[in-house]
Order: sequence, then C-alpha cells, then structure tokens
Amino acid sequence: MKGHIRPKVSIFHRLKQRVFLFRSPWKDTIQFILLIAVIVWLMSLSTSRLGYYWQWYRIPRYLFRIEEGRLVAGKLIQGLLFTFRISGVSLVLAFAIGLGTALVRLSGSFMGRILTRGYLEVIRNTPLVVQIYLVYFVVGPIIGLGRFASAVMALALFEGSYLSEILRAGIVSLHKGQWEAAHSLGLSTFDTYRDVILPQAIRRILPPLTSEVITLIKNSALVSLVSLSDLALQARVIAADTFLTFEVWFATAAIYLVVTVPLSTVVYYMEKRFKILT
Amino acid sequence: MNEKELGDYIITIDNVSKTFPGGIQAVKDFTAKIRRQQVVVIMGPSGSGKSTLLRCLNGLEEADSGTIIVDGIPLDDNREHRLEIRKEVGMVFQSFNLFPHLTALENVNLAQIRVRKKRKSEATKMSMELLRTVGIADKADNYPAQLSGGQQQRVAIARALAMMPKVMLFDEPTSALDPEMINEVLDVMKDLAREGMTMVVVTHEMGFAREVSDWVIFMDDGQIVETGTVEHFFENPQEDRTKLFLSQIL
Repeated sequence: MKGHIRPKVSIFHRLKQRVFLFRSPWKDTIQFILLIAVIVWLMSLSTSRLGYYWQWYRIPRYLFRIEEGRLVAGKLIQGLLFTFRISGVSLVLAFAIGLGTALVRLSGSFMGRILTRGYLEVIRNTPLVVQIYLVYFVVGPIIGLGRFASAVMALALFEGSYLSEILRAGIVSLHKGQWEAAHSLGLSTFDTYRDVILPQAIRRILPPLTSEVITLIKNSALVSLVSLSDLALQARVIAADTFLTFEVWFATAAIYLVVTVPLSTVVYYMEKRFKILT
Repeated sequence: MNEKELGDYIITIDNVSKTFPGGIQAVKDFTAKIRRQQVVVIMGPSGSGKSTLLRCLNGLEEADSGTIIVDGIPLDDNREHRLEIRKEVGMVFQSFNLFPHLTALENVNLAQIRVRKKRKSEATKMSMELLRTVGIADKADNYPAQLSGGQQQRVAIARALAMMPKVMLFDEPTSALDPEMINEVLDVMKDLAREGMTMVVVTHEMGFAREVSDWVIFMDDGQIVETGTVEHFFENPQEDRTKLFLSQIL
C-alpha cells in the first residue's frame, strides 16, 4: 500500500508536533498530576477503611524473575503471551469467518443468506460464556477439538459475527460506480473485491475494526473458564495463592491497558496515513 | 442477411426492452445496428433511456427481452460471454468512477495486469503511453482526488483504452465537468474518433456530434424517435419532438 505524496517528515517529528500542540503544556501536566493525586487519595482512603495492607513489592516477581542471571518471564507475562497467542489465532480465524459471512450475505445465494443470517442471530444473541462452555463441552468432543482449539473456535465464531457486519457495512458503503467501473474493465468478482472494494472498505472501517480487535483481546480472558492459562487465569491463581488480590488485579488491568492502548494508537495513525483523499 | 454483411456490424441491438422494478420502462423495443469505426451519438431528453440502453450494451444492466450481439458474441446468461464482451467494450462514466485508492497509473494498470495478465513493467509502459496520449503523463503518480474533473475523466478514458477495446461507450462523459474542462475531454474523444475507434456516445455536446459523429440517434421515452446522419439531423429534422429538443438545446 502506498501512501499519499506528502513532505518528507519523519513520523517522530509529526508525532512530536501532535503531542506538543497543547495550548499550554504546563497547565495540562498540572491537571493530569492533580487527577492522579485525587485517584490515589481516594484509593488509599477506601483501602485504609478496608484495612488493606498494600504489598506492591511482591508483584514484580510475577512479571519477570532473574534466574541464573537470565531474565525469565513470570506467571503474569506467561499468561499475557498465551493471551497473545489465543487472540492472534482467533483474530485471523474471526477475520476469515467474518469476511466469508459478509460476502455470502452480499451474494445472491438464498441458502447462503439463510445460513449466515441464522449464524449471526444465534451468536450475537447468546452470551460468549455460554458459547465457550458449549463448544468446549459439547461441540469440541463431538468433532474432536482440543481445549485450545475449542476456545479459539468459540472466540472466532463470536468475533466473526461482529466483524462480518462491520465488513458488510464497509462494503455496501462504497459507491456502486466502483463496481461498475471494475466490471466494465472485465475484472472478475474476486479481483474486484481484492483490488477495488476491500482496500477501500477496510480503510473506512478501521476504527470499528480496531475496537473489535481490542474486544477480542479482552474477551479472550473468558477462556480461563475452561482452564486455559491465559493472563486472567494466571492472575486468579496468583491472587488465590498470595491474597494480593488488589495488587494482582490492578497489575493485570494495567497489562491489558499496556497492550490495547498502543494498539488503538497505532491504528489511529494508520488511519491518518492511509486515508483516501476525497 | 449474408455473413459478410453481418461482419460489418460490431453491435446488433434487436428488440431490446428494459423495465426497472417499479414499472418504469426505460427502453422499449429498441433496434439498431452499429458499424465498425462508426461514431454514434445518442441524444434525447433526460429520462429517455439513453444511459440505460448504453449500460445494457456491456451488461451493466440486463435487458428484459431482445438480443444484443457484440462482435459476434451474444450477450446472454453465459458468464464467459459476458466477461468476453466486457473485455471488448470499454466504458467511460459521467462520474469518472476512478479507483480513489490507486494512482492514475495504477488505475490504468489494474485491468491490464488482472485481466490481460500482463507483467507490471509491460502494463506500465502501455499505461504511460496512454496517459501521454490523453495529455496527463505528468500526473501519473497522483491520486484521483489530486486531479481536476477533466483530468480524472481523461485518466478514465486511458483506463478503458488500456484494455484495447473494440468499442468505447461514453455515458455523458462531460456532464459532470466544469465548462472550462469540457473541451480537454472532448478533444481526446475527437482524436479517438479520428483514429477509427468505434464509439457510442450519449451526450448533449452538439459541437462534438457535428464534428465527429457519423450517425445520430434521437431517443425519447425509451424509443427511437429519429435517426440519421449528422447533416440530416441538424439541417433537416423530420419529427416535431426532435425539432423541439434541438431548439431547446442549441
């Protein structure tokens, strides 16, 4: 994908420009510090009433440990890596399912439309937790899926249904002249989707697509219900072992944020970078 | 009709009708033949079915009845036939319909690479030549939004020509343009006509019709009201409706 012609300015320079375009950096910094101070104060107030004894120093070992001079991932980071793995595989599959469903719904096939419609209604109108259990306990054993595969399938089917609606919206939002131009050039339907329709549609739907990716990462926490050792399960185990309930869950939430916030930031810049001029 | 005579006609339209859902009959029992290297101009008031007829010729609209034969290939339900005809027939739209995410060059390249299976370098060579012909080789790397309407339409013409079509269809190619850009597009079309391209043009540009068209079809209400040579048409129209239309437009 090629960007548009623009002056050669490094991405860092542009980033800097954007970040430091505040009215007054001092004012914002002070406001931000005040906000954090208030939050900390409220938290210490509530925990002191609970009589909670903070032991943050016990948390780092669950992130990283030094063993024989080597840095080793702690339980939380191991869980995070597993969360990455299951989210990644599910995302690829969800995208394939979503795209397939969207294309079938847009096609003329009557049976196809009925099937995809049924899939969407069932998946979107039942809780993901129920689906994960059903796939793991009922569907999985029947078709011989392991624990990981069952969880991936449940997540992918769930996210796929939402992705398909977003993709379909993006596709139908394009002017029909694009189809006509492609067809009158003799492009096949496949080529038209690949070269003309999808590149434009996906740029349009980047924002909702990003929120679905983030939703998928967050929803993957539910696979801990079928004992897959993702970030959420590790957190639960550590919390149960150590009674560091607050510290562990705060740390876990922070880890999710550290993953998802940069993701949406990256997409935000991608959106600007690949924007189609109109 | 003997074989040789049939060969003279590149497009045969026989008794074609098209009704849109909702009951509006856009084209009624339309019959016409178009010879190779002819420039045919279709005129008529808006809503007279000109565009619909044109779009039927490359299968963008499906005729309800009647037959259309392009270069010996019948336009029917056969997918191969439809695809073959689309390769042979180029189309230029009122609203250009360039692909906004591709540069001018990439727009012209796309079908050559995908449909004609050319290598990129080969396609680029031809595309640059075509962009030179329509006078915008220097804008090859610009995106459509960075071009004026007239430039966009010229890219669209180059894009259609890149498929080396036997017939070019123009659907009101200058109607969406600012007046000062109309001529740059018409000039390209005139050059094309002089080089012997078969063209079917829906337009209100009388100057263009006078200068290059061999045959004029005046349509109203989905039907042919009057057809004839340019001279006949402008100097000696027979039908009242034609006279009325011409008096309004000239």
